Amino acid sequence: MKISDPVQRETVRATTPRPTERTPFPARDDLYQPDAYGRELLSSLMRAQAGASLAVLLPAITLIALYPLLAVLIPRLASLQVEGLPLALLVLGGGLYPPLVLLGYWYVRRSERLEQRFVELLKEQ
Amino acid sequence: MNQPATIVAIAAVTIATAIIGARGVRIARTPDDFLVAARQVPTLLNASAISGEYLSAASFLGIAGLAMLEGLGALWYAVGYAAGYLVLLVAVAAPLRRFGAYTIPDFAEGRLDSALLRRVATGVVLLICGFYLLPQLKGAGLTLQIAFGGPQWIGVIVLGVVVTLGIASGGMKGITFVQAFQYWLKFTALAIPAFALLLFFQHPPVANITSATPITFSHRTTVSFPQSEDMSVNANVWVHAVGTIDGQARHGLVELSPGPQIVLAGSKLTFPGGAKAPSVSSPQLTAQEWNSPLLRLNGQPDHQLAATYGILLATVLGAMGLPHILVRFYTNKDGQAARRTTAFVLLLLAFFYIFPAIFAVLGRLEAPSLYVSGQTDSVVLVLPRIASAGIAGTLLGALVAAGAFAAFLSTSSGLLISMAGALSHDIMGKGVKAFRGSAICIGAVMTMIGIFVLGISINVLVGWAFAIAASTFCPLLLLGIWWRRLTWKGALAGLILGGGASSLAVVATMLGAGKSGWPAVLLGEPAIWTVPLAFATMIGVSLVTPRAVPQDVTQKLLALHLPERVRLPNRGNALRQYPVA
Repeated sequence: MKISDPVQRETVRATTPRPTERTPFPARDDLYQPDAYGRELLSSLMRAQAGASLAVLLPAITLIALYPLLAVLIPRLASLQVEGLPLALLVLGGGLYPPLVLLGYWYVRRSERLEQRFVELLKEQ
Repeated sequence: MNQPATIVAIAAVTIATAIIGARGVRIARTPDDFLVAARQVPTLLNASAISGEYLSAASFLGIAGLAMLEGLGALWYAVGYAAGYLVLLVAVAAPLRRFGAYTIPDFAEGRLDSALLRRVATGVVLLICGFYLLPQLKGAGLTLQIAFGGPQWIGVIVLGVVVTLGIASGGMKGITFVQAFQYWLKFTALAIPAFALLLFFQHPPVANITSATPITFSHRTTVSFPQSEDMSVNANVWVHAVGTIDGQARHGLVELSPGPQIVLAGSKLTFPGGAKAPSVSSPQLTAQEWNSPLLRLNGQPDHQLAATYGILLATVLGAMGLPHILVRFYTNKDGQAARRTTAFVLLLLAFFYIFPAIFAVLGRLEAPSLYVSGQTDSVVLVLPRIASAGIAGTLLGALVAAGAFAAFLSTSSGLLISMAGALSHDIMGKGVKAFRGSAICIGAVMTMIGIFVLGISINVLVGWAFAIAASTFCPLLLLGIWWRRLTWKGALAGLILGGGASSLAVVATMLGAGKSGWPAVLLGEPAIWTVPLAFATMIGVSLVTPRAVPQDVTQKLLALHLPERVRLPNRGNALRQYPVA
């Protein structure tokens, strides 16, 4: 192996060879290491994603679970009419769906941005 | 009732399904094609296919019928069926796709390194799908009986043969197109009749459902009784009767007095216009009771909040545990595509579930004869013909029958694919031949079982499938994806305890235990306690068996959560067990 060859010289290193040397994510290998830092990096990704999920689930659960509860606590609400139609028909027959769909779309966008930020983080180091 | 238009419509759906399905035969060559359609299905197509597969007999016929019978509270079923996809979207869709396993048993083994757990999960797949498939076959039997007359088993065999041959020949590539086509068919088949009935046909003002007057026949109406019913009469009424009432053969004018009357199968009663409609089994609900937003279990106002939450828990969490739905997530390109597809599914379902509510309201206003004969489940099928005697009613009736048949076809196909996939991967060996053989075996066996369980209610069986799915695969997926310390021992204990408890509860209900009060709620809606039980078992047993946590759990979590573009080559999919051909 000629020392003068610059390409060959690059392969002689003290560290273990990295198969992904030329990828744009220098910090990626940290994730795959069994040490505390890699674990923490993974946990931070999972926490961020779980946070985005809970930010959608909690309003959705409140939205859905609140109406039956209120109908039991305030019986007048159970037989309430709006414009001659029962409130239950307006809520259950369609009214609950738009907020649920919007929450879903908001989550798709937020999770996309979140993963983009994580990818940027891996590019940095 | 022999309806040529209906027969033509059902035949057209079946032929269109066969043609679209056959298009896939040329493309499907490897087991991979058969199972996940080579993972290259565009978002809208895939979302339509998932929705098409999901909207079964329960959604197309059952919700409208149940809401007509037991009140608007039954619409919580629809809300739960749709909201389940929001949970699926935020907690399961992307990680499951990224993990790169095909089926739930694949996921269980890949995540927790246990062949035993895999076999138990396969058993749960067959259980859930089996009990979901039977009501579809029964629904087909009912629909064809209304169209053709004759015995119900004919419809069961027709559906069984069409679905089995379709899958054994085309695999899932063809089925993806079929399912997408059938979502739009089902949507059209409910939307057009609903708008037509609401806007173009005469009906009592919709605001009448809030008025205190009891339901009456708007004109002279003949009610046929296909099965014997325990009819409860509200007020004295003279009817023209042909048949047997309270053990007496009648032919001519009879005065019915208030109270219960047993009407035998085959009887016909003709009520005068303006008469108050009697009801079957339980007393007729008042307008206020019917308009309540709380679920009435078996028509009774017992512990309504618990019953409502029980149904919501089962449907919202059960949706993610349906094996035939989850297998579709591998047809997405990557995790983010799986999220977009799921969000689209939520939108498509939200549009669809507006229509069962319309049918329930119009049914209550226009078709009191269904209360009398106990046939509210058929409200979607018969309402167009009740509302309009002319050609329009006939054509709309044919359209909904075709949509109903599409519902049975698409859901049965998805279920059969999952069962055949599970059986061929885990028991019969891999490859196209094994998949085809499994599909034919299971199709034949399920069709035969379907003939013998025609007496069991559609809603009981579908409810059972959702309750078991919510008590088994839901905790397995949520904990497996989000909790590092889950062990195969914990998962196994949770699957057995959750699945066993929910199955026993529903079997007890079917055998007649728990008619009212808390037993009815806890046995009839077991999810309210079996889901927490399954979660607690999985977490508790996992915590006391920390040594059973897989050694490479970090690698597995990376495979679940790391976006595809930052993965190390050859590591992200290290858990995939079958090479992509």
